[in-house]
Amino acid sequence: MITTGSSTSDSPAVVIEARSLTKSYGDVRALQELSFSVRAGQVVGLLGPNGAGKTTAIKMMTTLTSIDKGSAAINGFDVSARPDEVRQLIGLAGQSAAVDEKLTARENLELFGRLYKIPRGERRRRVAGLIDQFDMGQFADRTAGTYSGGERRRLDVVAALIADPPALFLDEPTTGLDPRSRAELWNAISMLAAQGTAIVLTTQYLEEADRLAGDILIIDHGRVVASGTPETLKRQLRRDVLEVHVAADEDVAAALAIVGPVVGVTTDTPSRRIGIPVGDGAARSLDLLRALQDGGIAIADFQLRRPTLDDVFLVLTGSATIETEEAPS
Amino acid sequence: MTATTRAISRIRQELVIDPSAGLRLRRAIQDTGSVLWRDVIRTTRQPEMLAFAVVMGVFFLVLFNYVFGGSIGAGARIDYLAFLVPGVFVITALQGAQQTSLGLAADLAEGVTDRFRSLPMSQLAVIAGRTIADAMRNVAGLILVALLALLMGYRFASLGGALAAIALATAVGYGFSWLGAAIAAKIRQPDMVGMLSMFWLFPLMLASTAFSPAETMPGWLQPFVKYQPISAASDAVRALANGTAAGADVSLTAGWVALLLIVFVPLSLRLYRKVD
Repeated sequence: MITTGSSTSDSPAVVIEARSLTKSYGDVRALQELSFSVRAGQVVGLLGPNGAGKTTAIKMMTTLTSIDKGSAAINGFDVSARPDEVRQLIGLAGQSAAVDEKLTARENLELFGRLYKIPRGERRRRVAGLIDQFDMGQFADRTAGTYSGGERRRLDVVAALIADPPALFLDEPTTGLDPRSRAELWNAISMLAAQGTAIVLTTQYLEEADRLAGDILIIDHGRVVASGTPETLKRQLRRDVLEVHVAADEDVAAALAIVGPVVGVTTDTPSRRIGIPVGDGAARSLDLLRALQDGGIAIADFQLRRPTLDDVFLVLTGSATIETEEAPS
Repeated sequence: MTATTRAISRIRQELVIDPSAGLRLRRAIQDTGSVLWRDVIRTTRQPEMLAFAVVMGVFFLVLFNYVFGGSIGAGARIDYLAFLVPGVFVITALQGAQQTSLGLAADLAEGVTDRFRSLPMSQLAVIAGRTIADAMRNVAGLILVALLALLMGYRFASLGGALAAIALATAVGYGFSWLGAAIAAKIRQPDMVGMLSMFWLFPLMLASTAFSPAETMPGWLQPFVKYQPISAASDAVRALANGTAAGADVSLTAGWVALLLIVFVPLSLRLYRKVD
């Protein structure tokens, strides 16, 4: 298990803590030994394909599903033993927590505000403030059943914010959103984290985890197959590729000769492009470029292509065959 | 903590830890009020639900009176309309109770109850609020049926009797609402719930004194017919509406309603709370 984040005494307090969360449905092991912690202001991403166990994990931490083994705590309150306290500290949005379709956004927020026992005046201010802040004015007084996907998702997430919970669980909050709505929601999530909210985010989108989460746990078949910061995960692959665009046709062969025998070199002769695996590091790329230059090869263009989280994801969830140092069997 | 300026002020509430029984009860009542507020808004946005609740009663009232009224009335030598109207009251109230089942199943299917479950609220309030909203709609439905009955020539013995009849029918519907809630919490699929409700409602409704006197039925069926809740309720509502002696029937009906509540309030809560 890889520990996430450094823990100095200056770090914000741990808000969400999962210890060896385990859950089975009959013979199916939905989740095994999931452990992580989220500090105030931190976003942890649970990344995995459909059915990986992400939603199960969220449901266990938000009192919706019983915990078979292990434990979870919010601000130190054990989820199984003190669900009433935990529910005062969490907000849940996404797949597993809908809004009322026959009510307008304003009424939905009013309802959830009442149920969180927010006093009336404060509740009104808060509802109006959220509608304003999340630019929901245009549809706030239409019933939720008439909303577009983007409007609906926005209400979903905002409904989880009504009581300003210190711990926020977002279960695939942007699934099915158009790029613009997604970007808006991302901004909102970043802002909440900047305000000190501890956030657990599940997603199938690598881009989303990369963009939002400081730490990522990649889950597949109920098990954590890798974890760390987006950068660490990408580095684990050691699959950087230096792509060199040679200026003249006749130089391609010469360039290949200078590069020498490297496993996995790709050549696209018509476009005069050579792809050279350089492992992990810019140093090797610089050496190569210098060698090419010294060899009198005119370079039109070059780029260092780093692996995307997509590459990491595919490798770790078994859809690709390339071995990495920490890939599980 | 970060020192970022916030767009809106933080409102972090004081955590309520280990509330006393009194506080818990106060909050449960408050939550029931909130859920009721929600369900009343929903009801007003779905007038077809009220129509649906009333339409059965209207069908039974019109069809039985004009189609079977002649033969049943003549056979038993009674004023059939005066016999039928109170029975239809009870049936209308039971129809309303079906909607508790359907509404709660729809909530469970839609996922809004998962949101409720993650909130710091009384879970019983989710069902209690709905049953109360359904009871309120039942009162509206019963008034509509009463108006139709008046148009058809029926006369209550007194205004007090009419109000008492509506109140008792509503109470019976309320008891059955909790049975409906338990079925919904167990089954959780709106279609299945709708079908299952028919299973208990139809036999209970037809083998009762709602539409015809027990004496017109075969002897072996009569003991069941006489004491089952819909008969007891029909007889009691009939006595109140028509101003005849009601004593035992009202007690028996009250007993049935109490029994329904004692069994199905805790059971529906347990089934509703049950998580896998």
